[in-house]
Amino acid sequence: MALVLGIETSCDETAVGIVDDRKLLANVISSSVDQHVCFGGVVPEVASRAHLEAMQQVIKQALIDASISIKDIDAIAVTAGPGLIGALLVGVSSASGLALALNKPLYGVNHLSAHIAVDQLDNSNQLQPAIALLVSGGHSSILQVNNLATDVIVKGATIDDAAGEAFDKIARLMGLGFPGGPLIDKQALTGNKTEINFPRGLTSPADLEKHRYDFSFSGLKTAVARYLAQTPNYKKADVAASFQEAVVDVLITKSLAACKESGIDKLIIAGGVAANHRLRELAKQRCESAKVELRIPPANLCTDNGAMVAALGSLAINEGVAASEIGISADSAASVTQVVWK
Amino acid sequence: MSTVLAIDTSTSQTSVALVENGKVLFNKSHLDPLAHGEVLPKLVAQALKLTSKVDLVAVGMGPGPFTGLRVGIIFAQSYALGAGINWAGVCSLDAMAANISEEDFIVSTDARRKERYWARYKNGVQITEPAVSKASELEKLGVQIFQEGKYFPDPVAIANLGLSNSSVTQPIYIRKPDAYPLPDGVKFRAMTALDLVSAVGIEKVVYGKAAWSSAQFKEEFAKAPKNANYIAAEVDGELVAYAGIFFALDVADIHTITVTDNHRRKGIGRELLKRMIDWARVKKADAIMLEMRLGNDQARPLYEHYGFVEISKRENYYGPGLTAVVMRKELK
Repeated sequence: MALVLGIETSCDETAVGIVDDRKLLANVISSSVDQHVCFGGVVPEVASRAHLEAMQQVIKQALIDASISIKDIDAIAVTAGPGLIGALLVGVSSASGLALALNKPLYGVNHLSAHIAVDQLDNSNQLQPAIALLVSGGHSSILQVNNLATDVIVKGATIDDAAGEAFDKIARLMGLGFPGGPLIDKQALTGNKTEINFPRGLTSPADLEKHRYDFSFSGLKTAVARYLAQTPNYKKADVAASFQEAVVDVLITKSLAACKESGIDKLIIAGGVAANHRLRELAKQRCESAKVELRIPPANLCTDNGAMVAALGSLAINEGVAASEIGISADSAASVTQVVWK
Repeated sequence: MSTVLAIDTSTSQTSVALVENGKVLFNKSHLDPLAHGEVLPKLVAQALKLTSKVDLVAVGMGPGPFTGLRVGIIFAQSYALGAGINWAGVCSLDAMAANISEEDFIVSTDARRKERYWARYKNGVQITEPAVSKASELEKLGVQIFQEGKYFPDPVAIANLGLSNSSVTQPIYIRKPDAYPLPDGVKFRAMTALDLVSAVGIEKVVYGKAAWSSAQFKEEFAKAPKNANYIAAEVDGELVAYAGIFFALDVADIHTITVTDNHRRKGIGRELLKRMIDWARVKKADAIMLEMRLGNDQARPLYEHYGFVEISKRENYYGPGLTAVVMRKELK
C-alpha cells in the first residue's frame, strides 16, 4: 500500500491526483483551456505559464481533498512524456523538487499508459491482457497490453492527425469553437449520422494490407471541408453526426479486429475522446455482439488528469519497477512502450 | 541559524548554491542552455548531501528564456512546499550585478532572437526596470555592459538577496507569449456586403488614394467561399478590422489585412493572418503571397514571424512612386 501523488502537465491541464494503491483520494484539475479558445488550439507558451501559476494551489488542494499532509506521501509520479515539452518540464521540475524535499522516490511515467492505468482505480478486476484503443487530442493508437508497467506493444497508430485533432479542426471549420470534441458531440446528438457518407480512412483492402491497425483522418477532414464549401446551407448537426460516425466507426472496427486477431477478449478505450457519447454507445453495441469485454473509465477520468498518473505510479510500485533516476528528461515524443523512465 | 538553497536558471547556465549563515557550503554551475531540467535536480541532490536541513529556497525569477526560467522557479516552489519552508524570488539581473563594483553599468543576458535582457545599475542599485532590447540599441546608451558569457547571476548573491530583499513573486517574462490572448470582446466572423459602408470608410482613412471601392469588395466577395475568404473583426458591433484572401490554381494571395488605427497592437491582425494561412492550407495551396507598401511596413515582423520571405519589389504598384514589397510563404 502506498500513497502516490501524480502530476500531469503535458498539455493545457495542470492536474494533481492522489491515490492510495488503487483507491482514488483526490483529483484536482486546473485548466487553461479558456485562454486558448480564441486561437482554436492550445498555445504552448500560454499553457506553460498557466501551469507554473496554478501548480502550488493545485497540489495544496489535492492534499486537502485527500485529507493528508505532504509528508504522508510515499512516492511522486509525473508525466514525463509525450506532450508539449515546455509544459512537461513544469511538471517534471515540480515533481523533482517535491521528491528531493521529501526524500521519496520519483516515477517519471508515460502519459498514454497513464490513460489506460486509470481504469485500475476503485476497480479490482484484472486489466491485462487487453487491447487498448487510445484516443485523444494528440494520439490515436491501438495497443496490445500484456503488462501495463512492463509490456505494451503498439499494433497501430494514426499516420496523420489524431482523432481529437480532427474533431478540433472540423469544429473550427464549422465555427463551433474550441475544444472541438465536446462541441461536436453535442451538435451530433440532434443530427442524422447517416445523412452524409464521409470516407473511412485506411479501410480499403489495399490499405488494410499495409495499415491494418493504423488510422488516417486527414482525408476525412478534407472531405468535410469540401462538403462545407460546396453546401452553403449545410445542417451543422448532420455534418457533426456524420463526421463523428465516420471517426468512431473506424476506431471501433479496427480495435475489434485487433481483439479478434490476437485472441484477446478485452477492449479498453482510454484518452480524452473516450468521453465521446457516440464512441461509448457504438463500442458497447459492437463489443456485446463480438463477445468482447468493454472497459471505459468514467468520463471525468478519460480527459487528462493527475489521478491517472498516480495510478500508473502505484501500478509500477506494485510491479516492482525501479524508481526513476534524479534528473530525468521530459520527452515530448516518448513512445508508449517507454512506460516508466529509468 | 539559517541555511539557504539558492537556484538560478535564467541564463544558459544552471546554478545552485547552499549558504549556511553566510558560509558557502556548495556553489556549482553547469553551462547548457537546453538542460536546466536535468541538471538542476542533480546539482541540488549533490548539495543536499552536505546538509539535509534547509530553511529557505531563493530563486532567480528572471528575466530569462521562458522554458529554462520556469524550471528553476517551479522546482524552488515545489521544494519549499515539500519541505514546509518559504521560498523567495529575486531578480536574476540583481544577482549578476551584485559582484560588479562600477559606478554606472548595465548587465545583460541573452534573450535569443538577437535581443538582450538588461537592467541598468548605479552604485549597486537597479535604476531601470528589467527590459528586453536589441543588442545594437543597448550599445547606443554608451554605458559599460557586463554580458552573459563572462558574467552570470551568482547563486550566492541569490541566497543573500533572498534573505534580505525578496520582493519578486512572479516570473519576469517581459515578453508576451508568441500568441497572446486577444482582448476581450473581439468577434471574428465572415465579412458580408453589410460591412461595405464601414469598410470603404476605413479604406479611405488607411489607404487614401489606393483605397478599395465598394464595387471592388463586391467583386471579391463573389468569389467566396470557393476562391475567396473575407473575415471581419468587430468590437461592440463595430467593424474594426478585416482580411481577405484569394485562391486560384496553386497560390493563395492575401489581398488585404486592415486594422483601424486605434485597434492595432492588440493581436487582431495576427489572428486574421493566422486564419488566412489556415484557409490557404485547407485549400491545399502550395504557397501564400502578400504585398505591402514599402515604407508602410509595420506588419513586416509579423509576416516574417509566420514564415513570409521577401521575394521581389514592384515599383509604382500602389500609384506613382509607391513600391510594393512582395512576400511569399511556402506551405508544401
